[in-house]
Amino acid sequence: MKKRAHLFYAQLGLTLLTCLFLVVPVVQSILAGVTKNYFRGVKSGLTLKWIFKVWELYRDTIFTSIFIGVACLAITLIIGVPAAYFMVKKKSRFTRLMEEFLVIPLAIPGLAIALAILISYGQFTSFRKSWIIILIGHVVFTLPFMIRSVIAIMSAINLKDLEEGAASLGGEFWNRFFHIIIPNSMPGILAGSLMVFTLSIGEFNLTWMLHTPFTKTLPVGLADSYASMRLEIGSAYTIVFFFMIIPLLLAMQWIAKPKKSTAINADELKDMPMKPQQTKPAANPSVNAPKANRKKDSTSIHLRNCGKTFPDGSRALEPIDLDIDPGQTVVILGPSGCGKTTTLRIIAGLENPDEGGKVLFGDDDVTDIPIEKRNVGMVFQSYALFPNMNVAENIAYGLKIRGDSKEKREGRVNEMLSMMQLEEFKNRKIDQLSGGQRQRVALARAIAVRPRVLLLDEPLTALDAKLRDSLRIEIDMLLKSVGITAVYVTHDQGEAMALGDKIVVMDHGRIAMSGSPRDVYFNPENHFVADFIGTLNTIESEVKDRMLTLPSGKIPLNGIKHLESKTEGPVKLFFRPEHTKIVDPGLGHLKGNVVSSFFMGDKTSLVVDVQSAELIKIEAQGIQKFTNGDRIELKLDLNHLFTF
Amino acid sequence: MHGRNRFYLVATIMPAVTFFVAFFVLPMARLAVESTFGPEGIGIYLKMLTTQRYLETLFWTVLLSFGVTLVTLVISGISGVFLQRNDFPGKSILVAMLTFPLAFPGVVVGFMIILLVGRQGIVGDISRAITGEKLVLAYSMMGLSLGYLYFSIPRVVTTVMAAAEKIDLSLEEAARSLGASTWDVVKDVLIPALTPGLISSGAICFATSMGAFGTAFTLATDIDVLPIVIYTEFTLSANIAMASALSILLGLITWGALTLARTAAGESLAAAA
Repeated sequence: MKKRAHLFYAQLGLTLLTCLFLVVPVVQSILAGVTKNYFRGVKSGLTLKWIFKVWELYRDTIFTSIFIGVACLAITLIIGVPAAYFMVKKKSRFTRLMEEFLVIPLAIPGLAIALAILISYGQFTSFRKSWIIILIGHVVFTLPFMIRSVIAIMSAINLKDLEEGAASLGGEFWNRFFHIIIPNSMPGILAGSLMVFTLSIGEFNLTWMLHTPFTKTLPVGLADSYASMRLEIGSAYTIVFFFMIIPLLLAMQWIAKPKKSTAINADELKDMPMKPQQTKPAANPSVNAPKANRKKDSTSIHLRNCGKTFPDGSRALEPIDLDIDPGQTVVILGPSGCGKTTTLRIIAGLENPDEGGKVLFGDDDVTDIPIEKRNVGMVFQSYALFPNMNVAENIAYGLKIRGDSKEKREGRVNEMLSMMQLEEFKNRKIDQLSGGQRQRVALARAIAVRPRVLLLDEPLTALDAKLRDSLRIEIDMLLKSVGITAVYVTHDQGEAMALGDKIVVMDHGRIAMSGSPRDVYFNPENHFVADFIGTLNTIESEVKDRMLTLPSGKIPLNGIKHLESKTEGPVKLFFRPEHTKIVDPGLGHLKGNVVSSFFMGDKTSLVVDVQSAELIKIEAQGIQKFTNGDRIELKLDLNHLFTF
Repeated sequence: MHGRNRFYLVATIMPAVTFFVAFFVLPMARLAVESTFGPEGIGIYLKMLTTQRYLETLFWTVLLSFGVTLVTLVISGISGVFLQRNDFPGKSILVAMLTFPLAFPGVVVGFMIILLVGRQGIVGDISRAITGEKLVLAYSMMGLSLGYLYFSIPRVVTTVMAAAEKIDLSLEEAARSLGASTWDVVKDVLIPALTPGLISSGAICFATSMGAFGTAFTLATDIDVLPIVIYTEFTLSANIAMASALSILLGLITWGALTLARTAAGESLAAAA
C-alpha cells in the first residue's frame, strides 16, 4: 500500500507541475494587464487603464470576430447538420470519401488552406478585401468539426429506427428531419456549435493570411499588439480574449457532462405486478369503436412474388406469395435470418420487393407507395419511441401529421391512454418509462392513427420472461377487440401459437409452411417445421412387407395416419414427447434407460437412451421419480408418428 | 427507397459538397498547379529537396514536432489516467486548468511562453534569484518546444481521459486476481487499452505541431520552421511557386502521418479527436 501512495504522489506531482506550466503564464498575463508598470511589478499599482486602452484601440477586432463567429456558426449549421445526416444515413464509397475530407482541418495546415484560397480567389479584389474571405476560410476549417460532432450523436441514437417509426406514422422526409432527427441530435448540434464558435473566435493561422488592415479579427489584433505595443496592452488584450472564451468553455464542459436522468423513483420504473384492475386485460373494448365497425375498416394483405435481394447480392427472401385475410392475426415465425423481418418490412413499405413483386392491401396495389403513405401502424423491436417527446406527444405524432385538430387529437390520445392504462404516464418522457410501459406506448402510438394494418416486429423480445407473458395476453386481447389485420413477427414459438390465427413458418427465405397453430403443430408438412415448433424425437426404423419394425415387434402400417402410404425401406420416425406414455414392462413399443431426469414441478423431463441414433426426450408426471439408469418402457401414440 | 426521398437525401449533402469543392478541393488543386508555374516548372520540387535551407527546416520541424509529440504523450498519458482514476478534493480544478488552454490561438500560446520564459519571464526572475543568471528560452528552439507542448498537452489529456474512462475496470481486476503487480497491470492492460487513443491523438498532435503557425509567428523570430518559411516565401520573397510547393509538402507530411495513424489505430479519427 505504501508503494501505491508513492505512485499516487508522483503522479499528482507531475500533474500539478503541468498545471503550473499551463496556468502560471495565464495568471501573469492577467496581472500584467492590470498593473501600471509591469517592469516594476505589481507594487507600481493596479489599474484598468490598459483595458480601456485596448477597448479604444481594438474594439473593432472584437466585433469583427464575434460577427464572423456567428456567421460561421450559421453557415456550418445550415450546411453541416444535413451533411452529417446524409453521412450517417447513407454508407457508400462517396461517404467514405467525405469522411476522409473530415480529417482535413487537422491534416492540412491552415496556412496551406489560406494560401490556396488566396491564389484561387485573391484576384477578385472586392472579395479579397472583405471579411467574407475570412469567413470562408473559417467555414472550411470549422465545418468538419460541426459535422463530426453531429455524426457522433446521430450514430449514438438509433436514428434508423426512429426515422422508420416516424415514417410508419406518416411523417414525410422534411417532417422527420425537423421534428425527429434535429431535436434528437440536439446535444451534438449544441456541442458542435460551441466548438465552431470558439474555434472561429480564436482562429489565427488562416486569418492572418486572409485579413486586410480593415478586416482584423481578435487574434490578428492580438498578434499586432504583441509585436508593436507595450506588454501591458498585450496582456490587457489577452484578458479580454479570456473573458470572451471562458463562458464558451464552461458551456462546453456543461454539455459534455453526462446528464442525470430526471428524478423518477427507481421503484416506479420497475414493471409492477399487475394491479387488481389490471388483471383484466388492459385493452378495454368498451372505449373503442364497436367491433363490427372496425372489421369493415381492416383490409386483407396479399404478397405476390415478393423476393428481396440486397445491394450486396445477398438473398434475404426468395419470391413468396402470402395472403392474409381482413382482421386476421398472422404470425411469421422462424429462426433469425429466415426472412421474416424482411417480409414484414416489405409489407410495411420499408423495403421494396425485387422487380416483379407486388404488395396489395385489399385491391390497392401499394408496391410503389412509401411507408408514410401506406397508413400502417408499426411496433418496432426497439419501440422507436421519440425521446424528444413525452408519452402523449408520441401518441399524437401520427394524428398531427394527418392534420387532426387539437381537440380531436387530445380526445384520441386520451382514449388510447385509458385503453392501454397509461393515463398517469401521459406527461412522462420516454426514458422515464419501464420496458413494459414503453411497449404499451408503442402499441398505443401505432393504433392511434387507425391504421389499415398493424405490423409488429418482435415486440416482446426486449422484455423479461414474466412481463412477456402478461403483455402477450394483453396484445392478444387488444388484437381481438380492435379486429385489425395484424402481422406479427417473432422467433418465439410460444408467442406464435398463442397469438396467431395463422402461423407462417419461414426458413432460409422461404415459407416452410403456413396454417393454423394446430395444423402447424400436429400436421407439420416437413421436418423443419416439426423440429422448429415443439420438441421432436427421432428413431430409426424400417418398413417391410407393409409392416413397421419397432424394437417391440412388427406393427401393420394400415391404420397409422401418416405412414399408410410409406414405401418399403428404412424410415425415420418422428414424435413429440407428449405422444409417448411410460407403461408397464411388456406393453411398450420402445425400451430404454433413463440417462438424465429433470424435475420441473408439474412434470419430470426425461432423456432416454433407446439404442437408436439419438437420445429421446419424454415427459412424465411430476410426482414420478426416476434415477439414472432406470429401465423404462414407452408406448407411442401411433396416430402422432410423423415421417417426411 | 422511393424516388422523392432519394432526391431530398441528395439535397442534404449538396450544399456541403458544393462548398467543399469550391473552397477546398479546387483551391488545393490550384495550389498544386501554381507550384509548377515558377521559372523552374515542376523542377521546383527538385530544387526544394536539394536546397539545404529547406531541407534543414524540414528536418528541424519534423524533429521538433516528433519530440513534442512524444513528451506530450508521456505527460498527458500519466496525468490523464491519474485524473480519470483518482478522486480527490480539487480534482475538477486541475482538470479545468489542464483543459483551459484548449481554445487559445497560437499567438496567445506564444505570448504565454514569452511571459513564462521570455526576457521579463517569471522563470528568468527565479533563475536570477538563484544562480544570478537570467534564463531566457522563449526565442530558441527550447522556447518553441515549450510553446508546442503548451497547446498539445490539453488536447491529448482530454483524449486520454475519455479513453481511460472507457477501459473496463474488471480487466485490471482480473489481472490483479491473477497476481499481476501494479507495473504489470500498466504494461499489460492499461497501455494496450490506451494505445489506439494514444496513436491517433499523437498523430493529431504531430500534425498540429507541423503546421503551427501562430506560435511560431510569435516566438520563432530567428528559427526556421516550415510554416514560417512558407510565410516568408509568400510575403517577403513573393516566391509563390516555392510557397505553394512547400505547402503541398507540409500537407502531404501531415496527411500521411494521420493516415498512417488511422491504419495503425484501426479506427476512425472522428472518435478520437
